[in-house]
Amino acid sequence: MPSSALQVARTGLEAQDTRMRVIANNLANVSTTAFKRDRANFETLAYQDTRVAGAQSSTETAYATGLNLGTGVAVQSTTRMETQGSLQTTGNAFDLALDGDGYFQIQMPGGQLGYTRAGNFSRTAEGQLVTSQGYPVQPGITVPEGATSITVSDDGTVSAQLAGQSEPTQLGQITIASFTNPVALQAASDNFMLETAGSGPAQIGIAGEQGRGHVRQGMLEASNVNVVEELVDMIETQRAYEINSKMISAVDEMLRNANQTL
Amino acid sequence: MDRLIYTAVSGMNASMNRERVIASNMANAQTVGFKAEILQATPTTLEGPQLEVRALSSSEVSAASMKAGGLNRTNLPLDIAMQGDAMLAVQAMDGQESYTRRGDLSITVTGVLQNGDGLPVIGQSGPITVPAGSKVSIGPDGGVLVSDPDTPDAAPQVLDKVKLVSTAGTKIAKDIAGQFRVPNGGILPVDENAQVIPGALEQSNVNPSEVLTEMIAAQRLFDMRTKLVKTAGDLDEAGSRLMRLD
Repeated sequence: MPSSALQVARTGLEAQDTRMRVIANNLANVSTTAFKRDRANFETLAYQDTRVAGAQSSTETAYATGLNLGTGVAVQSTTRMETQGSLQTTGNAFDLALDGDGYFQIQMPGGQLGYTRAGNFSRTAEGQLVTSQGYPVQPGITVPEGATSITVSDDGTVSAQLAGQSEPTQLGQITIASFTNPVALQAASDNFMLETAGSGPAQIGIAGEQGRGHVRQGMLEASNVNVVEELVDMIETQRAYEINSKMISAVDEMLRNANQTL
Repeated sequence: MDRLIYTAVSGMNASMNRERVIASNMANAQTVGFKAEILQATPTTLEGPQLEVRALSSSEVSAASMKAGGLNRTNLPLDIAMQGDAMLAVQAMDGQESYTRRGDLSITVTGVLQNGDGLPVIGQSGPITVPAGSKVSIGPDGGVLVSDPDTPDAAPQVLDKVKLVSTAGTKIAKDIAGQFRVPNGGILPVDENAQVIPGALEQSNVNPSEVLTEMIAAQRLFDMRTKLVKTAGDLDEAGSRLMRLD
């Protein structure tokens, strides 16, 4: 088909457009707590094998080369880059960061469990430890009224100094969920990840054990988006888009020329 | 009567095919491990008692350019870039062994090590499966290193070694899915000395400025061939006008 070069170039435009959208989302989330950047993965579309190399060209001979025409490109998937974001000290007792792998478990409305690395928690009027959306941390931690100097240890143990007591009281322990294949977690809004068939079920354990990260109190994990890297990717995408659109105008000109001349 | 017009049209077809191959290369300028297609036009001469002047152009994708693509450091433990002419053996959809330069590996939930195309990576004896929950990395020699998260201080164990093959001296061609195979079947020999660069990916070897130049050249050649068809038409027209009596 004479216009198929146009179609091939169009797949290039679409793929670059999708990649640009991924980059735009990364850049938009450059200040989002514990955001993990996505990478767009490209794949070649199927080849049309007009003639297979090695096919018989006569009873005694075979074609030495094939005629394989590619049909273009597509964005096949996005990979979440699970690298650690830098830890930033906030000094807030309820700000928790994970240094290493794993997720905090959050009870979302409707009973579903959500997983997040954004540990900017706060306390409700009833003393419950919740996310900024007000969703309770699992297992639930309740800080009694009048509790002072709340500390969260590396392994997630929460303790507080209660009025009239000389020793700190243990309030509970924040456990950490890990996954066989965390890349397959489904990203939802508000920093949450949801379990999928690809990620496998959550394995709940103590922070710092079995490869899980430590809990760091008074810190938040920053987004792992590197602005310079994204800008370079953005320019690369823009140029690739440009050359693909040049291809479309070139083929268009060819066809117009043929139409006018003949 | 002269059949110049058919020769010229075969050229137009070849130009359009060329443009399509260029478009496909261009579209894959960012596909990890992609190897650009090379189109080759060969004259098909009609031999016979008459003068051999008809050389119809027939074009074909003869091979892929095996030039190495640029390296992009990602620092991910499962990203590998192959050095030299080594290729990674993967299991194609039909179960046969095929070869690729695409080294963005990942692990499925069932523990199968696969590349970015979703094809299982072949080890010393078939596809590689890693134990659930372990930390996996690839060594420079292609060794699959597995460490148990329970004992983070212990040295990683070598589980298997990805099959790296040598392509030297063997003709390979892309199949319909874009993976490399030995035409007519056959497998490539293991290259014991092959090295990979962990934490890096090989970019597509399509050079955008080169491909833009090719595109313009193909476009102009098409235009010239269009003119040739027009000229052939005019000649025919002139010839038949001579024969008219009025």
